[in-house]
Amino acid sequence: MFSSIRMVITILLITGIAGAGMYVMKLRADNATLKANQIKLETAVAEQNKVLEQQKADFEAIMESNKKLNVLINTFKKDLEDLDQRFTKKNRDIGKLSIKRTEAMERIINKGGKNAARCIELASGAEHTEEELKATLKSQINPECPALANPNYVHHE
Amino acid sequence: MKMSHYGTYWVSFFKGVILVLLILALTGCSIGGEKKIKIFSVEKPREKLNYEMPTPLQMEEIKWIIITSANADEVFKRLEDAGIDPVLFGITDKDFQVLARNFAQIRQKLQETNNLLEEYKKYYEDSGNNQ
Repeated sequence: MFSSIRMVITILLITGIAGAGMYVMKLRADNATLKANQIKLETAVAEQNKVLEQQKADFEAIMESNKKLNVLINTFKKDLEDLDQRFTKKNRDIGKLSIKRTEAMERIINKGGKNAARCIELASGAEHTEEELKATLKSQINPECPALANPNYVHHE
Repeated sequence: MKMSHYGTYWVSFFKGVILVLLILALTGCSIGGEKKIKIFSVEKPREKLNYEMPTPLQMEEIKWIIITSANADEVFKRLEDAGIDPVLFGITDKDFQVLARNFAQIRQKLQETNNLLEEYKKYYEDSGNNQ
């Protein structure tokens, strides 16, 4: 009788200790899982922040690029207006002028053609000459495309 | 029939061997567990399209000649003296303005396209947007 009770108690004790041990092991496993989850979450947050920063930088780069292109398109409009003005300024008629001052007009037109050809070269990616870069006066610039040919020239109205 | 102590050991030993062999046959030597296949991905950036920028144009010079009713004979004589065929392809002063405008627009389009190309290159190569 006594030995049976002792056996039952022993079994209960062993079961209890085993259960407690398993519970502790489960807790440790849960803890490890939670730690791993925490690391993953932190990594995900860091990655998200990186993506957001990249998106912000991209957006700024796009805005900057758009601004540059808008400035360029405005320059184009102005260049065309200047070209029209050169032909029509103060009721100028290049036909009549050419009859009156043929040789002078021929020189002007040939110079203009040469300047326009240089503008095409620059627009296709040619390097500026030192003279073009140094030009700051109206008499030194290429009047066909000053914004492109003479970046240091500031136009005053 | 009573078996000797020695015989009983041997029978137990053979039973054990048969049991081990049976287990091996059933599990196909997989008791140690299959080796797990590890699948991993390595991000390889897209190859860069390293085209060089287009070669700049080199324009040839054109000589314009203004011809009026007053200087026509003189111009043709000058051409003949220089050994050039006395023929000219003419446009009016108004068409000259149109030509100048067209020329300017072509130049602007060229500049715009080159600029866009540079901006694309800068955006996708400098800022690490390699998609």
